[in-house]
Amino acid sequence: MSEIKSWTTHRDAKRQKLENAASLLDGKFAKTKDAKALLETLIDSNDKVVLEGDNQKQASFLSKILASVDPEKIHGLHMIMSSISRPEHLDLFELGIANKMDFSFAGPQSTRVSQMIADGTMQVGDIHTYLELYARLFIDLIPNVVLVAADKVDHEGNLYTGNNTEETPVIVESAAFKDGIVIVQANEVVDKVPRVDIPSDWVDVVIPADEPYQLEPLFTRDPQNITELQILMGMMAIRGIYEKHNVQSVNHGVGFNTAAIELLLPTYGEQLGLKGKIVPNWEVNPTPTLIPAIESGWIKSIHSFGGEVGMEKYIAARPDIFFVGKDGSMRSNRAYGQMAGQYALDMFVGSTLQIDQYGNSSTVTNGRLSGFGGAPNMGSNPTGRRHSTPAWQSLRPDNDPLGKGQKLVVQMVETFGANKKPVFVDHLDAEEVRKEAKLKNVPIMIYSEDTTHIVTEEGIAYLYKTDSMAERQAAIEAIAGVTPVGLRSDAKTLADLRARGIVALPEDLGVSRGQAKRSLLAAQTMDDLVEWSNGLYNPPAKFRSWS
Amino acid sequence: MFPGQGSQRRGMLATVDPNLKNKVTELTGVNLEDTDQGYLDSVQIQLSILILQMDQVNQLRAENKQPDLVAGHSLGVFAAAYAAGVIRADDAIKVVAQRANLMQNAYPDGYGMGVIVGLLRKEVTQIVTDHFDEAHPVYVSNQNSQLQVTVSGNIVGIQTVLEKAKAQGAQKAKLLRVPVPSHSPLMRGVAKKLTEALSKVTLKAPNCIYLADYNGHATRDVKKIAYDLGNNLSYPVYWDVMMAIAQEYLTTVSVEFSPGHVMTNLLKAKAPDIKTITLADMAMDDAKFLLNKWA
Repeated sequence: MSEIKSWTTHRDAKRQKLENAASLLDGKFAKTKDAKALLETLIDSNDKVVLEGDNQKQASFLSKILASVDPEKIHGLHMIMSSISRPEHLDLFELGIANKMDFSFAGPQSTRVSQMIADGTMQVGDIHTYLELYARLFIDLIPNVVLVAADKVDHEGNLYTGNNTEETPVIVESAAFKDGIVIVQANEVVDKVPRVDIPSDWVDVVIPADEPYQLEPLFTRDPQNITELQILMGMMAIRGIYEKHNVQSVNHGVGFNTAAIELLLPTYGEQLGLKGKIVPNWEVNPTPTLIPAIESGWIKSIHSFGGEVGMEKYIAARPDIFFVGKDGSMRSNRAYGQMAGQYALDMFVGSTLQIDQYGNSSTVTNGRLSGFGGAPNMGSNPTGRRHSTPAWQSLRPDNDPLGKGQKLVVQMVETFGANKKPVFVDHLDAEEVRKEAKLKNVPIMIYSEDTTHIVTEEGIAYLYKTDSMAERQAAIEAIAGVTPVGLRSDAKTLADLRARGIVALPEDLGVSRGQAKRSLLAAQTMDDLVEWSNGLYNPPAKFRSWS
Repeated sequence: MFPGQGSQRRGMLATVDPNLKNKVTELTGVNLEDTDQGYLDSVQIQLSILILQMDQVNQLRAENKQPDLVAGHSLGVFAAAYAAGVIRADDAIKVVAQRANLMQNAYPDGYGMGVIVGLLRKEVTQIVTDHFDEAHPVYVSNQNSQLQVTVSGNIVGIQTVLEKAKAQGAQKAKLLRVPVPSHSPLMRGVAKKLTEALSKVTLKAPNCIYLADYNGHATRDVKKIAYDLGNNLSYPVYWDVMMAIAQEYLTTVSVEFSPGHVMTNLLKAKAPDIKTITLADMAMDDAKFLLNKWA
């Protein structure tokens, strides 16, 4: 007989580690001051570690502690993080505690990330879309340890993550059922949690944090900053896309363009008689600029990736609209949100920093490797989709008997960006960045083939109607204004594209430029939003012009 | 933030500790004049700015104010290194005197710098590459902000680049009153001699993060800081990148040491959320009050 193979090596290793930590634990609970010793006991060098941190919520206590461990004891960690947001996330690499990173978004640390990849301090596994990163946690990036954040924990270890549940469930599940170790930082220990978001059974260790986890009001846009150009583009989009395609479900990106649309629905949309006809169902973070459209009955349901600081009371008072627990607070879920964005929505509307002559777009610019965030999942067409909606069907090519519909992916950009440089370029900076950072793929955020519409202050290009790359380029040139790409367009081509409905100018859509005034917005200030919410919305301090 | 040459003005040393001024004379034989006439001379300028900044560091230190990050622009790296505890005052004075002399003697005439506002670095690089002339070499140098780039080299070559930049839509393209092609490969000889001088100086590990001019990276490595002090003259100053890094370290308050407030203006445009203090524009007591309130 050969030696009997053990099938419980992972389980045994986990048990051993927790036994080694026994002196630091009282049940599942550790003392705040023992956090470093505990991590040094429970994490091995070269482990795969998920550190919770997305573009809103950060396990900031655990990230600081992890960056303080002795690199002699723990080194070479393979970090898996949807967002690189805090300086200590990168200190881990400078100190040698970690050497490899798989991530999605690095906006707040994009310069340092770019430098550390270039000088070899950080090896990049890959830059993912959110769904890819979550999916790999269950396939080939199964974590040894996960470090997550909770609002409240009871004495059993049940977690309440509330409005900001986000990606905590998907991270915890990947470890809890594969003999990984689940370590939680908690803002507060309570006798009874408002509701159980993560059952104690999935949790190994709880450490009360010395301060609440970091939380950013990322999606809040002050209506004060919406320009009349953005209002014009919003009006064109409502007429030329929302109404034309009979769009029922939508995700909006974080920009001012989409905030403008949200604030135009109750006014301009109402004038057009579209109320009850378009966009009742949303996958979107609970951004305050949605309040007027909710209050005036446009929006029927909203599911959210994450919470939004200041919206808690308003959401609790509108359970017909939001996903809310019995306790009254919202339950968000980033993984389900991204899934909905792929398969359930008619349309994604976003913005970008650069669009190339072919229609590919990217937010990566020279020296800043920002990664992606939510846009690439939301802004791509899932070719395996089966269920039909009027909007999806409306993009079906009519010359193919086996043809099917397509998700609407809309990019809204002004032809010149904040730095007065053209948004439309022959080549994306991302192509250079690929070489500098030695990436396998050019970090394109939304591919041309998935982009169905581009809206600028000049007009709308209906890219899905083009039947060759040359025609697609001509359509982009026609709305690219006086950028070098736009200057290649001529009057004859434009007239032809308009006649065939591939390009529409404001006048083709019945949109009057003169009507694009700030007074058309349902709310022009944060104060207006508070008023619309009947005082339920409580803006974060930096968005208040009063005190 | 420690600026380099450019904003010096007569009388700026009025409140500086006399011991520091005496120390300059003792160590270098130079009497600091602190006059318009004096500030026609680069040695006077460089030493005056250095001791003005070190004096301000000393005053803040006396109140236990320590930076989390320091950034010096060109000459400013010496006071930045002093603030970070890397270099002693005496050594800084001696090395800066050498630096100023080496620079003054390197290119007696025909060389200098220009500034272009409104074009991206890659646009300026294209112009410089397209019009490069070996007899009148020009290099893209400092990146002060996204749309503010300097060029360094031969004046004839610089004039050509400035004209082309204007033709390409630059809002501003003009010669700077700098008689040296600083922050370009033309300064390698000076950098070599300065490095030799620095090799005789004891430098200590910094007690905070140091943002290096020559590559725009944050570092705590004394060897990299030594390299920056000795060699930044032959590299562009990546100021815009340094400020992006400062933001990524979650900087909440900036202090610009004298003279001037150029760095603060650049930072305000880039990072409006950072609270700024400019020592040239306020009394030290006011600066201390604001630091206590904000930091």
